[in-house]
Amino acid sequence: MATTIPPPSARAEDVLDRLERMWQPRPGVLGWLTTTDHKRIGLLYFWATLVFFAAGGAEALTIRTQLIQPNQHVVAPSTFDQLFTMHGITMIFFFIIPMTTGAFGNYLLPLMLGARDMAFPRMNALSFWVFLASGIFIYTSLFLGMAPNAGWFDYVPLANAQFDPGHAIDFYCLGIIFNGIASSFTASNFIVTILKMRAPGMSFNRMPLFCFAFLAASFGLLFALPSLTADTIFLFLDRNVGTHFFDVAKGGSVLLWQHLFWIFGHPEVYILIVPAFGIATEIIPAFTQRRVVAFPLVAVAELLVVFIGFGVWAHHMFATGMPVVTVVFFAAATSIVVIPSTIQVFAWCMTFITGNARFKTPLLFIAGFIFMFVAGGLTGIMFLAVPFDQQVTDTYFVVAHFHYIIFGAAVFPIFGGMYFWFPKVTGKLYFELPGQISFWIIFVGTNLLFFPMHIVGLEGMTRRVYTYPAGLGWGPSNLAETIGAYITTVGIVVLLGNLVVSYIRGLPAGPDPWHGATLEWTIPSPPPEYNFAVIPKVSSAYANWDHADRMEDRRKLAESVMVLEEGHEQPVSSPVDGWWAEIVEMPHDSPWPILLALAMALVFVLLLVHLWAGAVFGLSAVALALLGWHGEEPQEA
Amino acid sequence: MTDYIAGGVPEPLVPRTTEARNGREVAALAGRRREPTVGWWGMAMLIASEVTLFGTFIGTYYYLRFSNAHWPPPGTPEPRVVVPLILVGILATTSLTMQLAANAAKRGRLWATRAFLLCALVVQVGYLVYEVHDYLDQLRYSTPQDNAYGSIYYTLLGADHVHVAVGIVLVIWLLWKLLRGLTMYRLNAVQGVALYWHAVNLLTLVVIGVLLSATI
Repeated sequence: MATTIPPPSARAEDVLDRLERMWQPRPGVLGWLTTTDHKRIGLLYFWATLVFFAAGGAEALTIRTQLIQPNQHVVAPSTFDQLFTMHGITMIFFFIIPMTTGAFGNYLLPLMLGARDMAFPRMNALSFWVFLASGIFIYTSLFLGMAPNAGWFDYVPLANAQFDPGHAIDFYCLGIIFNGIASSFTASNFIVTILKMRAPGMSFNRMPLFCFAFLAASFGLLFALPSLTADTIFLFLDRNVGTHFFDVAKGGSVLLWQHLFWIFGHPEVYILIVPAFGIATEIIPAFTQRRVVAFPLVAVAELLVVFIGFGVWAHHMFATGMPVVTVVFFAAATSIVVIPSTIQVFAWCMTFITGNARFKTPLLFIAGFIFMFVAGGLTGIMFLAVPFDQQVTDTYFVVAHFHYIIFGAAVFPIFGGMYFWFPKVTGKLYFELPGQISFWIIFVGTNLLFFPMHIVGLEGMTRRVYTYPAGLGWGPSNLAETIGAYITTVGIVVLLGNLVVSYIRGLPAGPDPWHGATLEWTIPSPPPEYNFAVIPKVSSAYANWDHADRMEDRRKLAESVMVLEEGHEQPVSSPVDGWWAEIVEMPHDSPWPILLALAMALVFVLLLVHLWAGAVFGLSAVALALLGWHGEEPQEA
Repeated sequence: MTDYIAGGVPEPLVPRTTEARNGREVAALAGRRREPTVGWWGMAMLIASEVTLFGTFIGTYYYLRFSNAHWPPPGTPEPRVVVPLILVGILATTSLTMQLAANAAKRGRLWATRAFLLCALVVQVGYLVYEVHDYLDQLRYSTPQDNAYGSIYYTLLGADHVHVAVGIVLVIWLLWKLLRGLTMYRLNAVQGVALYWHAVNLLTLVVIGVLLSATI
């Protein structure tokens, strides 16, 4: 977009050369195994989560095939239990969270903040390897035929040792704790990155809405996960050590599990969709060429959704016989969530209406997302009516509601984001027509898949049933759902196929194909290892549209100002105002994150097979890995 | 390098960690820092996560307490009061020594840092040794397998002891690191571990308070 580019000076060439050498990664596979580059880690997350997405999708298709007609026996009932449990665990813990925070957040946050890497690059690598190890750990159970089988929320007493002997639930407990470690690391890393690593001068009100959304989701993860960790620790102890947390006969409580689970579980819903809000608030300005309406309100709403989300957990438990006061309190608290959600929907719609909307594929996915989010939100409000909720609890109506939210409101923006940032990540343009076709197939498929679930739910079909008798009138709806599932799969294959073909045959994209709003569009595609040759000047949340600032950055490169090339250097700012506080040296590539993740995996495997003394030995391996890790001090490198 | 201003601060005024190559330069640079470091924020995040975990444990304690008529249940001895209270008071004084160590490190006083860390370490190890002995002794009269009271009592107390033990390992590691002088990295580490110990001391006070509330 530049009209007057200063001529490249010999000095600028020299500076770029130095940066290139300073930030050069190790070559080959070893480079990927030891990388601390947020972009490479983001891509590793992307590929790994796609594999888990395929696994979760295959489980969903098997479930739908089993339910296509009355009295089917495609899989055994015990396998069916494992399939729906693993489908839930996979899609939540191994697809959506790592895809949004891991892949999108990792790749894009530093680029949007004008930073060269995350606050803790080695911990970032550790997050990925721990995530991958926990995924492999929990999927091992499926291949051993002992996968978790008590539903993704794993209620006791069904999950107690008495009713579910064997290792299935132990895999669940340990796998969830292991995965939670990775998510906690990611969340802390994101919070500190957003607070401290912004380019000097990017005060809070100049930060893109995408970053507000990821800040909100990270706070959600950080404060919600410990509750799930405690819950799974208690269950593991109950099952394997003989404690009585959930044993009513010995003074324990069954509802304790549900409370602790949903104290995590409801914020979790917002953790899933708030990053998707963030993706939407980046795509909409780019394709309407208009700043998002009501910026401060949207920023506050993103944070408020998560904050209020911590006070509504018991609406998952209206059918458990809690006191009326409690039930009414949580119904009222839940209704408040409507306000920040609606603020955002209206802000998006007004940006569409008052802007110059170009309905390219990413924006189509966002329009579809708003449609699905409103539809899922409306059924969500219905659950506030306690008598209605008690009727539909554990029916397919609930399944329909949360799939509209989770597939419609979380996965649609993920697909939109894949298209939107594809040119940035690969340097190639995707093909537009197949992109639009893939959207319409997925949109029609998901509605055909999830809408009839409302109807069979109201007709009394409970979730997680293995099969159902003929003559209840559920056959046609279930058939339509299964057809919808296959259509959705075709759409996703078209989408991914389009991206693969575009990667091979696409036209070069250039740095800024959309005239996007944020800093990642100011740098070449794909971005260089050091991201920004010059630490950018930022005077608004739509930095790429501030032409004068971008011209100034070019001049600074020619004069070699604000380049920070004396090492792996990165400016650090104050958390609110973006005062320039420090210039720190960042760590280089390191083999220790992957070794530490391996040591941690060893501990969890030994715990699973009850080798308590062995687990202590595993902990000393963890300590050794940490010792090696901290033997490399960044400023001595 | 021109006198470029970004985020309200001219570049020459910004502390640059690559400049600190020995203890004196580290102290000079640390004196110019006006903001908590990235490492401090990282430790704050860890503490936020751990405090939430303990909050969940304590919430569980009271949830179970109020769903039981007798707490502790008949036949289970009440927790000991006097010795744990005295011990936790002594442990809390290590917040002072840890902070003095962090302040000394910031001024580049290597020997003072080592001395304060060693003082703190002696008290911390003493506390943990007695508490582990006491924990094992109590297990002779009641166990986590007896009832829900025992389960949460030993889990909460054990989790707290684990945090004290991790803190002790961190202080030993710091002393070992400081054998080879002070660097920016080690200064950040001393400050971070001091923050960790403030949190652990506070947590221990709260945890002991919660566990002793059964005697009221």
